[in-house]
Amino acid sequence: MSEVLVWNAMIGGIVFGMVYALIGCSLNVLAGVLRVINFAHGEFIIAGSFFAYALFTGLGLHPLLSLPICAVAFFVAGRGLYYLLVPRLARSDEPETSSFLLMFGVSLMLIAAMTWIFEADIRPLNFTFDPINVTLFTIENAYGEGRHGRVLIPTARIVALVINLFIIVGLTWYFYRTLPGKALRAATMNREAIQIVGINIHRLSSMAFGLATSLAGITGVLLALVIPSIDPNGGADIALIGFVVIVLGGLGHPVGALFAGIIFGFVEQFSNLMLPQAAAQMVGFIILVAVIFLKPSGLFGRSVLR
Amino acid sequence: MSSLTSMDEAKASRIRHTLWFGLIGVVVLWFGSIPILDGNQSLYFSLMLWVTMATSFNIIAGFTGYMPFGFVAFYGMGTYTAAILVSIVKVSPYIAIPASGLAGVLIALLFAPTLRLGGIYFAIVSLSLAVILQRIMGLAPEDITGGSGGLNLGQHTVREQGFYAMLIVLVAALATVTWLTRSRLGKALRAIRDDAQAADAMGINVQRSRLYAWLLSALFASLCGGIQAWFTGALDPVTAFDVLITAKTVIYAMAGGLGTVTGPVIGTVILVWVDELIWRQFPVLNSFLLGLIIALLILFMPRGIIGTLMQKYPRCRRLIM
Repeated sequence: MSEVLVWNAMIGGIVFGMVYALIGCSLNVLAGVLRVINFAHGEFIIAGSFFAYALFTGLGLHPLLSLPICAVAFFVAGRGLYYLLVPRLARSDEPETSSFLLMFGVSLMLIAAMTWIFEADIRPLNFTFDPINVTLFTIENAYGEGRHGRVLIPTARIVALVINLFIIVGLTWYFYRTLPGKALRAATMNREAIQIVGINIHRLSSMAFGLATSLAGITGVLLALVIPSIDPNGGADIALIGFVVIVLGGLGHPVGALFAGIIFGFVEQFSNLMLPQAAAQMVGFIILVAVIFLKPSGLFGRSVLR
Repeated sequence: MSSLTSMDEAKASRIRHTLWFGLIGVVVLWFGSIPILDGNQSLYFSLMLWVTMATSFNIIAGFTGYMPFGFVAFYGMGTYTAAILVSIVKVSPYIAIPASGLAGVLIALLFAPTLRLGGIYFAIVSLSLAVILQRIMGLAPEDITGGSGGLNLGQHTVREQGFYAMLIVLVAALATVTWLTRSRLGKALRAIRDDAQAADAMGINVQRSRLYAWLLSALFASLCGGIQAWFTGALDPVTAFDVLITAKTVIYAMAGGLGTVTGPVIGTVILVWVDELIWRQFPVLNSFLLGLIIALLILFMPRGIIGTLMQKYPRCRRLIM
C-alpha cells in the first residue's frame, strides 16, 4: 500500500468526517429536542445539493453564494414542516416510532419529487475551483526509485472543510454561549422542566426543526462540492451514516456527534482503502449494530434497553 | 346480569367467527377458481401475497408494538432460500418452500437479541440488518446467489402451483391470527404491548411471548418471499430486499388497523386494488403517493380504518374481529 494512499485516506477522513459530524449534529438537534429520529434527513441533504445544483446551472450562481440562501430557505421550510407535521404527533401513543414512520413517508415523497424534477440520473455539479488541486507535499520515491508521489487535495475539499469548521465553531458558540442555544440543550435534558421556567416549547421546537433542516441544506451544498455527483436515491445511505454517527456519539449529544463523525470518516476511508469494496460497504452497518448491542448509550448518552 | 352479558358476548363472538370464517371460505373458493377460470392471476396473487405480508407484520407490530423497519429481511431471505434450493440444489418447490419458511425463522432467531432494544433503536437496527443481508446476497459468489444479477428459476417451476401455495399460506396466516386473538399467547402479547412491566408482574413470560410472535411473523413473511420466487420465477437482491416492500407492508397493515384481525386484510384489499388499477400507470407518482399515504395515516388515522370504526362505533366490535 502506497504511502500516498494512506495520506489521501487521512485527508479524506478529516474532510468527510467533518461533513458526517455536521450530519450527526443536525440529526441530534432533532433527536434531542424533539425526540424525532429523522428518517428523511438524507433526502433533506440531497435536496440541499440539488438546491445548489439548480442555482448553479439555472442562474450560474457560485455554490458558495447559494450556501447562505440555502440556509435561510431551508430554515423557513423546516419551521413550516414542523408546524405541519409534529404537533399532531405528540398526541400519538408512541411518538418516537410514529415520527420515524412519518418521516419515512416524507422521505418517499421527497425522493419521488426529486426524481420527478431532476430525473433518475445522477448529476454532477459541473463546478470547479481554480486551481482544481492543491499539492500538500511530495513524498520522495513513493512509487519506487525516482518516482515521487504528490499528496493532492482538491481545492473544493479544503473549502468545504474550512466552511465546515466555521459552522461547527459557530454551532458550539450557539449551543454553549447564547440563550436560545442553552434552551435547546436544556430541552434535550428535560423537556418538562424548561416549560416551567417559561420557555415556549413549540416555538423552541420549531426553531430546532428549522435549525436542523437548515444545517441539512448546508451539508447538502458542502457535499455537492466534495462528491462527484448528486443522486436523488442516495438519501438512505446518507441517513444511515447519520444514524451511525448519532448512535456512536450518543443520541441527542452534539459534541458526541462531532467526535463520532470524525471517527466514522476515518473508519470509512480506511476500510475503502484496505478492504475489498464489497466488505467496505457493510462496515458502517456493522458498526451501527455492534455499537447498539455492545455500548448502546454510545460514547455519551442515555440508556436504551427495554 | 353478568351471566347474561357473558352469554351475549358468547353470541357476539359466535356471530363474529361465523362471519369471518364464512368470508375466508368465500375467498378460498373465489381465489381458488381464478387459475381455472383464466382470471388475472398476477392481480390475485399479489392480493394474497400482500394480505399475508400485512397479516404477518400485524403479528409483530400490532400484537407486540415493535416496528421492524427491516421487515423485508425475512421476505428476502425466503425468496433467496427458495430460489437457491430450486435452481441450484435442484429440489422440488414443495421442499424448497417449507425450507424458506425455516430460513426465515432461523434468521429471526439470529436477530432475536434485537427484541431487547427500545423503540427507535429497534427500528434502526432492524433496518440495518436488512441492508446487511441484501449486501451479502449481492456480494456472495455468483454460483450461489447469482450475485447482483440474481437468479432465474422459471424453467423449474409452475406458476399455478405457486398460486395455490400462496392461497394455502394465506389461509394459514389468517387462521393463525384468528387463533392468536383467542389464545393465551395473544392475550399475553397485548398485555405486554400495553404495559410490559404490569404483564411481567402478572406472571407472563415477556421475553418468550415476544419471541414467539417474532418467529411467527418471520415465518409467514419468508414463506411469502419463497412463494413469490416460485410464482414469478426470477429474483435479484435489489427487488428481493427493496425497502418499498417494507413500506407497502406497513402501509397496508396500518391503513386497515394494526392489532385487529381484519384490519390488515381490508387495508390491503383496498390499497392493492387502487395500486393495480390507478398508480401502476405513473411509477414516480406511485412512490410519492405511498409516502403521502403513510404520512396522512400517521397524522390523521393512526388506528387505521377498522381501528377507527371500532373506536367511533363500539358496537361494531360485535361483528368485526
